[in-house]
Amino acid sequence: MMLKTFTCLGLLVTGAAYADALTDADEIVRQSNLASYYAGADGRSEVRMIIRDPQGRQQRRQFTVLRRNVEAGGDQQFLVVFSQPSDVRNTTFLVHKHVDRDDDRWLYLPGLDLVKRISAGDKRTSFVGAHYFYEDVSGRRPTDDKHELVETGDERYVLKHTPRDAGSVEFASYTTWIDRETFLPMKIDYVNAAGDVYRRVEVLEVTEIDGHPTVTLSRVDDLAGGGRTDMQFRHIRYDVGLPETVFTERSLRNPPREHLERPVQ
Amino acid sequence: MTCEPTFRTLCAVLLVGFLSTAPATAQDDVWDDAGWDDDAASTLPISGFVEAGVGTRIRTDSLLDQRGTLEELRWRVEHDWQPTGFNVALKADLGYDGVDGEAYANLRDLSVGFTLGDSADVRVGRQILTWGTGDLVFLNDLFPKDFVSFFAGRDDEYLKAPSDTIRFTRYSDRWNLDFAWTPEFAHDTYLDGDRFSFFFPLAGRNVAPNPVLRAEEPHTSFENGEFAARLFRTVEGREYAVYGYHGFFKQPNALTPDLRATFAPLTSLGASLRQPFRGGIVNLEAAYYWSRDDSSGRDPLIPNDQLRVLAGYEWEPRTNFTVGLQYYLEWTLDHDRLLDNSLAPGFEPDEWRHLLTTRLTYRAARDKHVLSLFAFVSPSDRDVYLRPSYTYRHSDQWSWFLGGNLFAGDAAHTFFGQLEDASNLYLRVRYHY
Repeated sequence: MMLKTFTCLGLLVTGAAYADALTDADEIVRQSNLASYYAGADGRSEVRMIIRDPQGRQQRRQFTVLRRNVEAGGDQQFLVVFSQPSDVRNTTFLVHKHVDRDDDRWLYLPGLDLVKRISAGDKRTSFVGAHYFYEDVSGRRPTDDKHELVETGDERYVLKHTPRDAGSVEFASYTTWIDRETFLPMKIDYVNAAGDVYRRVEVLEVTEIDGHPTVTLSRVDDLAGGGRTDMQFRHIRYDVGLPETVFTERSLRNPPREHLERPVQ
Repeated sequence: MTCEPTFRTLCAVLLVGFLSTAPATAQDDVWDDAGWDDDAASTLPISGFVEAGVGTRIRTDSLLDQRGTLEELRWRVEHDWQPTGFNVALKADLGYDGVDGEAYANLRDLSVGFTLGDSADVRVGRQILTWGTGDLVFLNDLFPKDFVSFFAGRDDEYLKAPSDTIRFTRYSDRWNLDFAWTPEFAHDTYLDGDRFSFFFPLAGRNVAPNPVLRAEEPHTSFENGEFAARLFRTVEGREYAVYGYHGFFKQPNALTPDLRATFAPLTSLGASLRQPFRGGIVNLEAAYYWSRDDSSGRDPLIPNDQLRVLAGYEWEPRTNFTVGLQYYLEWTLDHDRLLDNSLAPGFEPDEWRHLLTTRLTYRAARDKHVLSLFAFVSPSDRDVYLRPSYTYRHSDQWSWFLGGNLFAGDAAHTFFGQLEDASNLYLRVRYHY
């Protein structure tokens, strides 16, 4: 079994790591960005979400994500292939994420055989009906915010982030609690102009996979309107050798089955 | 309103739809683990939906008895399977159409896909094909469309009609090549006087012939097949494409010497560009339509050559609110000769037909509610076509669609003007399984 829960690993290395806390907020954010979105040269994961509305009604989404780093901390490519529910089955979503310009995004609608280009515009809108935003899934550019180290705890750094372009986002600021060991942001609170926390993203489970501490269960709560989405990851693999050709229009119409098939345990 | 059996069926399904939207009790906080942790991926064996739809004219068409424009119960079956090296897709619709008064079984997709070497994909069989950059405006996409479904308020998906085609796609580091051969000409589903009446220039008014219009189709032969090709590549987020087509106009816009409607031979060549621009997406497309049997423009029975040009821009000015604008031009060449030789010069198209489109989309409550308005406005034809719609996605199973197809025009012979009396409102309820 390759998997080992991260809590075990954490106990083994506790003493050494806490000695040299980082003091540069930008460096903490840089490492956190790498840990959250750039583990390995590439990766694959199956994802499912349970979306609960304020009345407690549930919806589900299930999909497979393939990811390839063009450059660690830089450009990335994502291919998302939906399997459930049936009205989005075989819908595919391709993202070329860029650091220095707008992302390129395409959506394939199988019923119309239509490759639709999506404007980069607003990334802080619901990802396929969930409480997650597109930006939560593919990552927010570290340079979009100013970062401030508020507190260095025994286990977590606490940082406050304020947007450089306040008009482009719905939050006034957000605070992250970043694990000092793994650099994974374990909790993010979004604060509105009135100073209230209205949205929270939390990591509920971390598992070490192929040497990378990996989020395997997270949750976003809509604290203002009610409702939440749980996102669970399974069948994760890193460094599977995804070629660049996987992230092209070809895969929108003909998803690359050899890379989407569930790996043998 | 008479309560015919069909209508009662629809009422029953709508009632079930109502029940579906009753407040649901909170479900247990458990993940249903079926298939999720298994070694083999879980796939849906058979999926699809059951849908009931009703639509009614909001004006009276004196040529047609019935008010209903949509009365149907539809069962969709979808299945994919992957025998070694192949990928077989099935999409079929079974149902009852109350407007036609008959049951139907339509195959939308039954095709086999496979890979040739590392860099070529082939799909053979009945399939839906789409390319080009227009939003509900088609220049180089000469695959069959079903305008009757579109105007009657069926799902947008049904605008694209299937064809029996061999599609070959070769990918490379530079240009990719798409080639689609449809051995037997697949025309659009055109206005035939059954559900909607249409303007007939020689009569000078709308007609609804009984039996319905059956345009004369080219006889089946290799030369009368359709050949469509596309060269395309994406460089730094810019999508370039060059298109070619050899076949026939997809609408019966020509007449035989004995004045029967038919499809004129067509060869077209075009190109497109689509790329991000200032936070939105800009698209440019052009196509030259060469009417092979009347390139000089002298034959009154056959359409002239045309140049078609499209420019569009889509962006998101506010969170969850998207705006798409398009300008489209049809330039009919040798227009003087067209008028000089025409049998009905008053009803010929303008030399310059301008069309503007707007798509406004607003999404609320994480896409549970989607409000949309698509408008076609032609300043030269002085006609409009509005498509307002409201989609309510109640759950993963139940969705509601409410919308309209509203036409108006100063003249009866323009594309949307002829449909003024076809203006309708519709409601559909869909259960996904």
